Amino acid sequence: MKKVGEVVLLWLLILFIQNAAGEGYSPPGKPTNISCRSPEKETFTCWWKPGSDGGLPTTYALYYRKEGSQRVFECPDYKTAGKNSCFFSKNVTFVWVNYNITVVATNSRGRAFSDPVDIDVVYIVKPNPPEEVVVNVTEDKDWPFLQVSWKPPKMADTRSGWITLFYEVRLKLENKNKWEEVSAGQRKTLQIYSLRSGGTYEVQVRCKPDHGFWSEWSPSSRVKVPEYFPQERSMWILIVVFAAFILVIFIWMVYMNFHSVKRYLLPPVPGPKIKGIDKQLLKSGKSEDIFSSLVVSDFPPTTSNYEDFLVQYLEVYVPEERELIMDEGKDLQDDSFKTENSTCDNDSGRGSCDSHTLLTDKGGGDKEDGQQSDQEGSQAEADTKSQEEALEEELLACSHENLQSSNISNEKEKVKSWPSLFSPLPQYSLSPVNRPNPPKTGQQHCLSDSLFTPNSMPSYFTQPGPSTRKGFRSNYWECSFDHKQSHPLHPQSAAHEHLQAQNDLNTAHVDYMGAPLDVHVLNVRPSEYVEVQRVSVEDGVLLHPISPSQEDSRTLSHQTEDYSRVRMVNNDNGLLLLQRDAIEEEKSMCPYQEDVVSRASITPTLQNSVTGINTALPILDEMAASGYIDTATMFGLPTH
Amino acid sequence: MTTTSVIQWGLWVLLLWPQHLAGSTPLDCRDDQGNLSRCTSISQEKLLDRVIHHAELIYRVSEELSSLFEELFIPFPFRLQSNQAAYSCITKALPIPSSKSEVQQISDKWLLHSVLMLVQSWTEPLIYLQMTMERYDHAPDMLLNKTKWVSEKLSSLEQGVVVLIKKMLDEDTLATGYSEQGVVQNEVQPEVLESVLRDYTQLSCFKKDAHKMETFLKLLKCRQTDKYNCA
Repeated sequence: MKKVGEVVLLWLLILFIQNAAGEGYSPPGKPTNISCRSPEKETFTCWWKPGSDGGLPTTYALYYRKEGSQRVFECPDYKTAGKNSCFFSKNVTFVWVNYNITVVATNSRGRAFSDPVDIDVVYIVKPNPPEEVVVNVTEDKDWPFLQVSWKPPKMADTRSGWITLFYEVRLKLENKNKWEEVSAGQRKTLQIYSLRSGGTYEVQVRCKPDHGFWSEWSPSSRVKVPEYFPQERSMWILIVVFAAFILVIFIWMVYMNFHSVKRYLLPPVPGPKIKGIDKQLLKSGKSEDIFSSLVVSDFPPTTSNYEDFLVQYLEVYVPEERELIMDEGKDLQDDSFKTENSTCDNDSGRGSCDSHTLLTDKGGGDKEDGQQSDQEGSQAEADTKSQEEALEEELLACSHENLQSSNISNEKEKVKSWPSLFSPLPQYSLSPVNRPNPPKTGQQHCLSDSLFTPNSMPSYFTQPGPSTRKGFRSNYWECSFDHKQSHPLHPQSAAHEHLQAQNDLNTAHVDYMGAPLDVHVLNVRPSEYVEVQRVSVEDGVLLHPISPSQEDSRTLSHQTEDYSRVRMVNNDNGLLLLQRDAIEEEKSMCPYQEDVVSRASITPTLQNSVTGINTALPILDEMAASGYIDTATMFGLPTH
Repeated sequence: MTTTSVIQWGLWVLLLWPQHLAGSTPLDCRDDQGNLSRCTSISQEKLLDRVIHHAELIYRVSEELSSLFEELFIPFPFRLQSNQAAYSCITKALPIPSSKSEVQQISDKWLLHSVLMLVQSWTEPLIYLQMTMERYDHAPDMLLNKTKWVSEKLSSLEQGVVVLIKKMLDEDTLATGYSEQGVVQNEVQPEVLESVLRDYTQLSCFKKDAHKMETFLKLLKCRQTDKYNCA
């Protein structure tokens, strides 16, 4: 009967549970959050979170069932692991099967069952933190490092291999917040380098099985790193020594190349360009004498002056001219030679070269130009300007050739120049003109070719006429106009156009040589113009008296070379003078090469062939006196 | 009684019914990749791996134990060679394959059963050995701990093999509990050479058998993956 009563009571309880009638007290809430952990894979503990107790004292019970079996067991130990926990000892822990765990909350009102949980012991292993963490600061030649060592937690049986643990170390500076983590694998020691000198570090270690959870971090171990930086000091010393070594080498190099460096940094000051200024006077310091030469009574030059010049020039052209030129050259010789002897570059910056050459060339150039212009005016009017273009390309060297029936372009220029020069001198024009050098555009012309005949000057004039009609005219006009602005010999319009260029041409011509030089100069200088021929013509012209052919050719060739670089014309003076030497060189250089007859080679020639310059110089002086410093005026000089 | 017990049983069933209805949600059950997966039971593969791992450990520790014992207690002339101890092993009577050819012919089922027999036959002797060692005067702690560890792990292995048999062969085999009565207590005084030699022989035999267990289990695993290529 009692039993029946019990049964009835139980049924009533069940009804109560299922109906869940509330009378102020209620059945307990469902336990939740069942979590189990095993520290060493031999035992494990489960915790649960109790629900509301419904106002009544509630008891909790944990039941588990092994996988594959329906037999239900109750937790063997509720106490070892604390409140709301169940501890499974070694005897009841199996790694072979899963556990199905349920927690039941019971009070007088009812029961509550938690959700069941499946447990595999191997996968819930969370070991204890490693123990005996020792951190040492090891000194290694002023590079200290940390040596961290630890032991596995006692419970974990790593010795037999039952559990395999992986370790991780983290450290941070004491006053910072950022941890740096380093993995240590299965080792039990670790070295940490790159420490901050004088800093204090905190070190912690944790471990994890191959399947499982990370343990908690071990308690911090503090260590202080001693201060060190001698390594940095030694590095600085090394850097300083190296820099000093490099500096010494640099100074030595500068010392060895002192002069070239000095020249590069402080280019020599060009001498005075003003005609009439005598260096000696400057040195003596007599200002009156110095400036008196500067005063040009008849500036601006008038046409009459030009006429005079022209006439003078004509005189010079004839062998007599040579003497005149030479005489004149003597005066200017010093200046010219001095300057020419100095290092003359093609660059315009080297005024020293230009100045003297200008001085020497001007006298002859003007004359030549005038002559040429006269002749050209009559003959080369037909020349077109188009040739100029071609001539430009041709450059200097071929001026001679043109004259001698070689390249047209150069010759054209030269021829053009010739006309300008020789126009006032019909006699001159004869010989050079006689030389028909059909201008050939696009061909190199060596002055040498055209200069072969002593009467190259006249031939030049003539040749340019027919051959370089196109270009000649322009060149011619250019040349003539440059030299003599008021020169009436070039009525053609083309001249106007080339005025500007002619100036350059003139200068070029003048520089190049006396008479022939001028031609060269004209041809060469006006790189804008294809007046190289002109120059060559001049060269030829100039050279006739002396040994024109070769010289002319030389100069011409040189001019052709220099065509690209008018400046080179300056050296023509020297070339012309040398004539033979220069011409040969130029001849070799004719073939449209950019061989540049070194000015050095030319300058010596200048010295040797003073005569030509001398003759040219007086002309130049006259030209200078007129106020023209154009190189074109110099043309007359280099004729010899 | 019967009715009440039936009713009680019915009540329990009723109480636990929601549990069955709700199903079991896996917790902390992960496969090797660390993904949470529903694991109501451990897979056969994993189980076999764990059993093999167990056997490996047991063999390794038994080897250490044997060599340690030999160093401590056995004088040189009495040290056994590897092939001499087989005659006096207690398990020589078991129907266990002893040669390679026999092993290759045996079926999976017999492999497992052989392992189980080995394990079960060594459970008691090891406990006895553990007890005798404790009586030694100069036995170091390490020796004792190792012996204890081996006996514990062996019983655990037994349970694992039982579960494995159930999984693989669907056979229900009860793990034989060792009986206290089966242990033969020798009255011989400890540290007498004879008893020491006997213990030494025991350890050597156990070492060999542990190696056999490991080999059988590994062969079984090999057969699972590649049936025709296993040695």
